[in-house]
Amino acid sequence: MSQSVLWEVVKGNNAFLVKRNGLTLSTDPFNNTGVQTYSSTGFITKNAIGVVPTQSKVNQINNVNLVARKSTKFQQVDRKTKNTQSVYASTLSVKHGIHTASRVIRKRFGTRRLGLQKAALRKLVKLNRANAVRRRNEIAATKAQKK
Amino acid sequence: MTSVPLVSVFSADDSSKVTAKHIPLPAVFQTPIRPDIVSFVHTNIAKNRRQAHAVNPQAGMQHSAESWGTGRAVARIPRVSGSGTHRSGQAAFGNQCRKGRMSLPIKVWRRWHRRVNIKQKRHAAATAVAATGIVPLVLARGHRISQVPQIPLVVEDKIESYEKTTDALNFLKRFGAFEDVQKVVSTKVVRAGISKQRGKKYRVRKGPLVVYFNENAKLLKAFRNVPGVEVVNVTRLNLLQLAPGGQLGRFVIWTQSAFAHLDKLFGTYRYTSIIKDGYQLLRPLITNPDLARIINSNQVQEKVQPAKTTKVLHEVQKKNPLKNSKAMDRLNPYAKKQRAAAVAAIKANTKGTKKIKKNKALKKASRAAYNKVAASLNDATKAAVQEEQDIKVKYFSVQKGAAQTE
Repeated sequence: MSQSVLWEVVKGNNAFLVKRNGLTLSTDPFNNTGVQTYSSTGFITKNAIGVVPTQSKVNQINNVNLVARKSTKFQQVDRKTKNTQSVYASTLSVKHGIHTASRVIRKRFGTRRLGLQKAALRKLVKLNRANAVRRRNEIAATKAQKK
Repeated sequence: MTSVPLVSVFSADDSSKVTAKHIPLPAVFQTPIRPDIVSFVHTNIAKNRRQAHAVNPQAGMQHSAESWGTGRAVARIPRVSGSGTHRSGQAAFGNQCRKGRMSLPIKVWRRWHRRVNIKQKRHAAATAVAATGIVPLVLARGHRISQVPQIPLVVEDKIESYEKTTDALNFLKRFGAFEDVQKVVSTKVVRAGISKQRGKKYRVRKGPLVVYFNENAKLLKAFRNVPGVEVVNVTRLNLLQLAPGGQLGRFVIWTQSAFAHLDKLFGTYRYTSIIKDGYQLLRPLITNPDLARIINSNQVQEKVQPAKTTKVLHEVQKKNPLKNSKAMDRLNPYAKKQRAAAVAAIKANTKGTKKIKKNKALKKASRAAYNKVAASLNDATKAAVQEEQDIKVKYFSVQKGAAQTE
């Protein structure tokens, strides 16, 4: 289904739309800017990458899931983990954290859609920084507790 | 379209098993998405379930009120006749009056229902069915379908024989539809407003819609107590269920026979419908609506003039070259060398000079001298203060008590 057509249906009203303080925002997981616009709304495209934060424990490096939008109708089963993936998205594997994640993003986009690519990378960096702060606080808290 | 999109039918007991691998999608799912038609038809059809209501025709008019006319220093509104009660002489009948009848009282013969052209209703239904097969639209409507194996979801007819709600629940869980049911349960709220006293206490969201075909199917009873789930026969598909609120993209679970019946029900692009007599599916206004693809196609790009490069006359923000070295270099390329030369010159100048080692003894001596001076200053100020006090005592000694207060 064409992105243009879907946008005409979805732009007025959709489950991710949030209008606040005169701003038109989106909670779409594939939207890395947070603002609802035609190009940034990822769930209506065939290929988009969403940078999604996960609840990570203190020692876990990865705080971010990369979710890739895919347009197949069938659910895919990951052969290795036997996890079923969702119909509309697949999680991209990120092994070591922010630098591999950014590589995955850049590889996926290539030289195309620089704006979207930058948005994804920007979100990745922000999430990573926030997570670093959180982990620092958690470690300090556990240390204080031990004392 | 050379290739027909294919769909799998899943086994009711095991969501990973597929009973029929590749069934062609019924032509309804290729119908163009027309939210304008759906919106129009929905707003009208939604009025058809309304029950007539009206205001009591005599409300506010059961008086023999008459206007007092002019000359009595009161407004000319009809006033209640009689005496002996507060009510007498009070204004009556008008919509502005207390206890008066409303303006334009609602009559029972208000036009409650709307008729819509059959063709429009059918086009709307077809579009709504098509939208249930498009994942972004189902997502946009707010259904939780991340674990659903396929959209459109087609299951073998076995679920039509479910009698127990537990079977229904387990089925939904197996196919990832339970997340949507959970959403319905967790977002049940008490309705705002008076309707809660009139039998509509809760506002409940819509969950999955289960569509079956065989008339003696028992699944209605199995599914009806599951919150949010609706069950409907494919021959009685309802736009109000397919696009609730006029919003396309309900999450629908089809049984195999219901899915197969859709071609007969709506027809295809080659044959008109058998059941909806003479109905032909809507044809798209534009066969290729993918604007990006059209723009990037060879045919368009060949004819199109090369993109104009915007001439950047100046930066968006002016940088001060006296402070910003890069801006300076842009204006004067030699500035970089000048700066380097200046740095080198400074280095050359300071090469011979030794660093002054601070003499400890010198430090001590200077500190002692400072302390001495400070001490003498201290003594001086002390002496001065004492002198002032003595003067005060001398000259104002008579009023010693008074001197204290100064």
